[in-house]
Amino acid sequence: MDILGKWVSRIFGVSMLFLSGFVALETVMRKLFNTSLQGADELAGYTLAFGASLAFIVAMIDRAHIRIDVLHARFPVWLQAAIDWLSVISLGVLGLFFLYVGWFVISDTLAYGSTAATPWRTPLIWPQSAWYAGLAIFALCSFVMVVRASRLFFSGRHDQLAQEFNPVSAEEELSEELDQLKER
Amino acid sequence: MGILDVLIGFSIMMGLLLSGLPVASVMVAMGVAGGMILYGPVLLTSMGPVLWGTSNEPVLTAIPLFILLGELLLRSGLADRMYATLALWLGRLPGGLLHTNIGCCALFAATSGSSVATAATVGTVALPTLMERKYRASRALGSLAAGGTLGILIPPSVNLLVYGSLASVSVGQLFIAGVIPGILLTLLFMAFIAAQDILSPGGAFQDADVPWSVKLNALKNLVPAATVFLIVMGSIYLGIATPTESAALAVIVALGFVWFEGKLSLAFLDICFRKTARTTGMILLIIVAAFTLNVTLALGGITGVMSAWVNGLGLSAVELLFTLMIFYLVLGMFMDVLSMQVLTIPIVVPIIVAAGIDPIWFGIFVVLMCEVGMITPPVGMNLYVVQGVRNDKGPFTDVIAGAVPYTGLMLLFTSALIFWPGIATWLPEALGR
Amino acid sequence: ASETLRVMGQPVATGLIQKNIEQPFFENFAEETGLEGFIADYQPVDVTGIKDTEQLRILKSGLFDIVSLRLSQVSRDEPTILGLDLVGLNPDYETGRKTVEAFAPVVDARLQETFNTKLLGVWPFGPQVLFCEPEIASLADLKGLKVRVYDQNLAEFVSLLGGTPVPIGFPEVQQSLARGVVDCAITGPSSANSAGWPEVSSFTMPIAFQLAMNGYGINLDTWNNLSTDQQEKLQAGFDTLSERVWTYSEELFIDAVNCNTGSEPCETGTKYDLVLVEPTAADKQLVGTAVPNVSFPAWKEVCDATNQGCSDAWMETVGADKNM
Ligand code: NA
Ligand code: NA
Repeated sequence: MDILGKWVSRIFGVSMLFLSGFVALETVMRKLFNTSLQGADELAGYTLAFGASLAFIVAMIDRAHIRIDVLHARFPVWLQAAIDWLSVISLGVLGLFFLYVGWFVISDTLAYGSTAATPWRTPLIWPQSAWYAGLAIFALCSFVMVVRASRLFFSGRHDQLAQEFNPVSAEEELSEELDQLKER
Repeated sequence: MGILDVLIGFSIMMGLLLSGLPVASVMVAMGVAGGMILYGPVLLTSMGPVLWGTSNEPVLTAIPLFILLGELLLRSGLADRMYATLALWLGRLPGGLLHTNIGCCALFAATSGSSVATAATVGTVALPTLMERKYRASRALGSLAAGGTLGILIPPSVNLLVYGSLASVSVGQLFIAGVIPGILLTLLFMAFIAAQDILSPGGAFQDADVPWSVKLNALKNLVPAATVFLIVMGSIYLGIATPTESAALAVIVALGFVWFEGKLSLAFLDICFRKTARTTGMILLIIVAAFTLNVTLALGGITGVMSAWVNGLGLSAVELLFTLMIFYLVLGMFMDVLSMQVLTIPIVVPIIVAAGIDPIWFGIFVVLMCEVGMITPPVGMNLYVVQGVRNDKGPFTDVIAGAVPYTGLMLLFTSALIFWPGIATWLPEALGR
Repeated sequence: ASETLRVMGQPVATGLIQKNIEQPFFENFAEETGLEGFIADYQPVDVTGIKDTEQLRILKSGLFDIVSLRLSQVSRDEPTILGLDLVGLNPDYETGRKTVEAFAPVVDARLQETFNTKLLGVWPFGPQVLFCEPEIASLADLKGLKVRVYDQNLAEFVSLLGGTPVPIGFPEVQQSLARGVVDCAITGPSSANSAGWPEVSSFTMPIAFQLAMNGYGINLDTWNNLSTDQQEKLQAGFDTLSERVWTYSEELFIDAVNCNTGSEPCETGTKYDLVLVEPTAADKQLVGTAVPNVSFPAWKEVCDATNQGCSDAWMETVGADKNM
């Protein structure tokens, strides 16, 4: 999972850097040379859609999807474990939901041969396929995690479950920051 | 659909949220459940276009770019040297290094939208020095917690971007509107530190005087932060770029600084990418979920019901704003600020617009209340961060006690903003006309 | 028994047509159409949080029964629609009416076929005209200037004139003009007035690049569930509504140009003092040439790709008297 997170982050980061380069070039050329490469805005939109679906994956692997843990941390372990288990399942269901409703978008785009009303006339199916692939991986990862969490839950290893699937607390995030600070 | 149904729905949602389920899942579940009750399965086929529409939104692209920008600068070691430089310049004011905390946070705020990493980094650099010089713990910790919150008021700010996209107002205008309140609040914090020190000296050692040549030479450490801020705000002020474009420009320049420092490596980029992807995923999932819930809120006429209900109370604009201030203060105690924003903005903005309040101004108001939420217990991200940084194992109450006066200052400042809205609206208007 | 139709309207932000004509019509739906017991649950598109580009998909799904379609935005899914309003095609209201009369049936047939949607009426938001900060005397002066455009046809025409097209979302335009991100921008004079564009520009040329067509579509299932009598009443109601918008749109246009340039009467906007640059005969001719040179060939390619025979249908109807 961690390796996957690393590679997904890399693809995400490189897309963002590429976008920055393109948009920066477009902006500078527009100001200095009065010419426009066109399409910076459009590319920004597609990159976000693609990047967002990738980022969902990383946030899930790193347990960064926001949960309000003010009461959670005070619950008995079995209850914490039950809620953590439900949380993982809810993300899995969310992944399925995205795939399900996203499919309507894809099938409509295919049926209408939709083309962006922009200088590039991008066939919408290109960016939407990339976006949908990201969502599919998100759903897939969440299933893997659901399986793992269910196994722990039903075999009664509640401590382990709570440890692996708790929301990342401020202390954990901080200790990570501090580790990285030492390296600088 | 009456106010009672809305309250029942809202209570169920709060219950699910407080139990600790992921905020995004709860919002989508509520949106879909509500929508199915009101409209049936036809709603589901319509959620697809909403999902794509929200994801494919060029304005929101600025969010990952500004996060990446902050990560690049933070991890290149910029903050450490910036702190040392500011300490040389501000250390001899009454209140000493506490000014450096605020100043460093404010400068960092000008390059980044993330307050957790900022408070953590500045805190780690600052606290050992502060303890060594016998600053009173509560004062040192409070100034760090409060200083960190400036990150979301001084542009660029992820929270202003989120507000802009949810309230459909210009993000450029919001950024410009945030500048003067950001500077004034920084100065207010500093004035408070000085006054506190004069009235009841904190007992710290005075810093030795440093020759001017050293001071001037150290200024070069501020160049990267200043450059990035000038690029971001300058390009927006001068009309060279939209917020997304300014973010892209700044990312490229920051990459240049990192390369110049000799830090540009795959390992370095991996860390930045990972952190950016994680934070972006966290934020965007919540935003996508909020838009999904919004469709149900709007179609179900819930926004209208709430508006009518508030209208029926017959509050004046000022009364309404003070009510909202208390509402956000309480909500901010228990909720993280992003969840608070996405849950309230779609409902509150139509209400304040109907009351004749400028939505740009209100964006600054909301972000100020978010700042307050970051330092009020029990859920206050910056309090945890600062407590985590200290290594003297002192009590958490130190941090809370230190932060209380700053909460008071921020509430005072927000009240001032209500009576003198020009604090936020003057600059965008002066530049726009 | 009362029946509720869900209606998605124009964005509130677009101004007076939505506020004074559209919303009142749907709020008094039963009286306006004579359909007793019918109620319209009217929601402006920006209030729903659904993007206007998605309107056709939403309408097809049946979440809404009637949608006030933003034709330029939804052309992404059905380019045939653009044939109503190619850049340079409708220099004035009179020509616009003829175009709609000739081509709306073609669009309607296509929407019924692919989007389960019947077109109830088409109306213009109004002429999209030019606002500039630097001095201009004719369209030729756009050469070397950055011009905010809102769609592709227009972008190509601006390029043809030697300008740089810059696509920017409407909310950011005022600021972009103020700071010189763009020198000129194109929109309706009334929207420009309420968005404060005259505060940040100096010249305006009231020449219609496009009429900004919009239309009403009804989900076919909803339509088919009505009796013939009800269908006739509904259609008659929308005919009246569209006609009302056509008239109001023209009044609004004249008034808004007056307001922007400081003339009388000015009743619907804030008074400003832009310099009115009257389009010359050469300018009008230049805009007209956009159809054969830019907008038709570009559109033909896109449209025929998804809807075979699309451009032929246009040539037989609208293009018949265009000497092309
Ligand atoms: Na900031
Ligand atoms: Na709090």
